[in-house]
Amino acid sequence: MTKGTERKQQPRKAPKKQGRVLKPELSYKVEVTDKDGRVIAREEGPSRSYVQQWNEIFQLQGGDVTSGGVVKDVDGVTQTSAYRSSRSFMCNAGIGYDRTGLRVGKDSTSVSISDYALGSPLAEGTGTDQVEHQLTYFTGPSVVGSTLSFTIQRSMVNHSGSTITGIQEIGDYIEFTAAMYGRVALGFRDVLGSLFSIPDGGAITVTYTLKVTA
Amino acid sequence: MRNRGGLWYSVTVRDRHGKVISRERRRSRSMLGNWYRILYAQMAFTSTSMVHTSGINRGASWLTDNWKFKAAANEDWIGIVVGTGSTAVTIDDYKLATQIMNGTGSGQMRHLASTPGSPSVVGSDCSFLTSRTFLNNSGDSITIRESGIYCRCKGPTYYGYANIVRDVFSTPQAVPDGGSITIDYTLRVTA
Repeated sequence: MTKGTERKQQPRKAPKKQGRVLKPELSYKVEVTDKDGRVIAREEGPSRSYVQQWNEIFQLQGGDVTSGGVVKDVDGVTQTSAYRSSRSFMCNAGIGYDRTGLRVGKDSTSVSISDYALGSPLAEGTGTDQVEHQLTYFTGPSVVGSTLSFTIQRSMVNHSGSTITGIQEIGDYIEFTAAMYGRVALGFRDVLGSLFSIPDGGAITVTYTLKVTA
Repeated sequence: MRNRGGLWYSVTVRDRHGKVISRERRRSRSMLGNWYRILYAQMAFTSTSMVHTSGINRGASWLTDNWKFKAAANEDWIGIVVGTGSTAVTIDDYKLATQIMNGTGSGQMRHLASTPGSPSVVGSDCSFLTSRTFLNNSGDSITIRESGIYCRCKGPTYYGYANIVRDVFSTPQAVPDGGSITIDYTLRVTA
């Protein structure tokens, strides 16, 4: 490896949306590492992309809704019997579990408020264009100055035998309850500023920071 | 185009005849740390420390009732609340500075019921509104300087209530005897 490629990777900046004033209450960082753990690509930026299910589930909680709530799940099915639940927003997915937690995908379609899933999420596995989902990891809330924040992080490892190219979307799948536990909805989704590739044996790590400032 | 996501509040004061005598609408900057402590507990399906409105650190844990701020009439421990305090907001506020309690005595106001509306999508926004009106039948004018939201919550052991939003008005709002004040909070996400 040459000296030039050994230099520390500079974070890519997410594309700016001209003229927007943003208080970054949700932000993301994406890092790709090779099989030796070396960071080979990185991007970070503010997320603008909570989608409507986030607010719908919050309204179930705030409004003490016990039946009849409407939330579309990640399969595109509009659940019409959603209600408040201890599992609302839950996304502490374990190893190998790709129904909830942070996901990555290959779709580049702009985020819409009505998005209900990633456009083309990578599935769990070691086959072509599949990744092995690791444990979803949280850091607890901490206060610095007038800001409280916590993070959610997940790595996905490529053991498919070849490079996975064209990764351009990330997002969080969260639980809600409708008729039964275990329904899953998209909470937020972001389209990255550039395409990412994960070499065989490498990994992609997505970190979201949720922050509030008084 | 400005980013319109977040929490917004509006204040409307009426006299005894229902005539609007003052109005204020602003973006709330005062979603408190407790909002996110509960969110963390829900997302991670775990527990964390959190001071309840009682002033005691009873923590936050996952719970069916978390964030419930739907309030019945006369309930001054849940839902939108108002007060006379003007202490600057801090991230770890756990109650209003000087809350106005329910009643018709001196310095008290009657709390009406409050139910969050259903979310609606307009363009790239999804938002819902929760609103509450307070009636001043105390016999004297009351000046409101702060508002907030108290919600149901639970720690690992104890149930309780948490202050998740607090705002100090840019202009104190005097509510005449026989009049009312209505606080609207709109929670909006924008893609």
